[in-house]
Amino acid sequence: MEPNNSQEKNREVLELTSRIGEVLLKNGGEIFRVQETMQRIAKAYGVKRFHVYVLANGIFTSIEEDGTQISRQLAQETGCKGPDDACQVRHVPLSSIHLGRVAAVNNLSREIVEQRCTMEQAWQKIEEIDQIPFTSQWFQVFASGVGSASFCYLLGGSVLDSLASFISGMLVWCFVLFLSARKANKIMLNILSSALVTLTGVLFFHFIFGENMDKIIIGSIIPLVPGVPLTNSIRDFLNGDYLSGTIRMIDAVLVACCIALGVGFMLSLVTMLTGPIV
Amino acid sequence: MLLIQSVVAFFATVAFAVLFQVPREQYVYSGLCGSAGWLCYLLVVANYPSPAVASFAAVIVLTMMARTFAVRRKTPVTIFLICGIFPLVPGAGIYYTAYNFIMGYNDMAAAKGIETIKIAVAIALAIVCTFSLPAPIFRKLAGEKSR
Repeated sequence: MEPNNSQEKNREVLELTSRIGEVLLKNGGEIFRVQETMQRIAKAYGVKRFHVYVLANGIFTSIEEDGTQISRQLAQETGCKGPDDACQVRHVPLSSIHLGRVAAVNNLSREIVEQRCTMEQAWQKIEEIDQIPFTSQWFQVFASGVGSASFCYLLGGSVLDSLASFISGMLVWCFVLFLSARKANKIMLNILSSALVTLTGVLFFHFIFGENMDKIIIGSIIPLVPGVPLTNSIRDFLNGDYLSGTIRMIDAVLVACCIALGVGFMLSLVTMLTGPIV
Repeated sequence: MLLIQSVVAFFATVAFAVLFQVPREQYVYSGLCGSAGWLCYLLVVANYPSPAVASFAAVIVLTMMARTFAVRRKTPVTIFLICGIFPLVPGAGIYYTAYNFIMGYNDMAAAKGIETIKIAVAIALAIVCTFSLPAPIFRKLAGEKSR
């Protein structure tokens, strides 16, 4: 039974590291961080030959299991040579960023490396981490408003502009939450949201209050701007993960183009209906 | 004036920290990164009117702060970097490019588009430069500050 146990253990380490890598990648960790964390954890649990390859949306891991008696016996009986490899593939679709979970996994991996955490505890903790809730939707909407208003002010808007931006920033985040709950695709989500922002900006400027239409719109567009994929893509390139860097760069450029398209669409619609604006 | 601007930048960055689910205990630090980056941008752009150069300088300062905080707070750099970089990401550039394009001012649209790309490249270059600095520098920076 002894060799069988060690094989079991190896497989469990494989499962555990794959799960941890998945949580890390899903919530916005860089490729390099995911790879290194997984390798360190495998090493801490005593797996020597551990291989991992991480892409922007997938993880491939394998363990070479040679030297255990079971696999040797099997090899002799069946006549096949070479070690009995175990491997796992995980598909990790692009999803929303949760940096709190990234930080939590970082702490967990530190504990594991310092041998302060058994495998059962690690399993329990990683499942807990994956369940860390998002901040409440109303707080997110409020934060989006504050962010929009602040950016409007930073980029030269007046206090009234900021107020308008605050309202339209809250509105756009409600819209984003509404669409993402209905699994709208990313392209339409960005086009529609930026069109909505432009519309509210125009309405505020013409009918309610506000002194600079452009500042109102720019302020409330900021929550949509692809800052995260841009930053992550640069860091992936820097660490030599060109393929993942390219995937994330395409993501950033695509979102930027969608925003421009949404703004342009709404502006031209308004121009067509009411004549030139501003 | 500069004081008000950096306070507003602080709140702007914290707002994005909330949207990206940064842990509560790191809000203040990511806010400080964003605020310092924006202050640096303003100071440079007042003396040398090129948004790309100013963004480059600002991101260098901001990334150095982010790395120092990361060591000191034992937290991934990403957390401070992503939030702090938001004031500098060229959102306005995207808008003006689209606006001028739609209004038929093609020259202006091209100029704004190129400027936006320049800023994005400057940000990328600044991150690359700062991350190429050896880690002990930041350990030392973090150590000296905590003492």
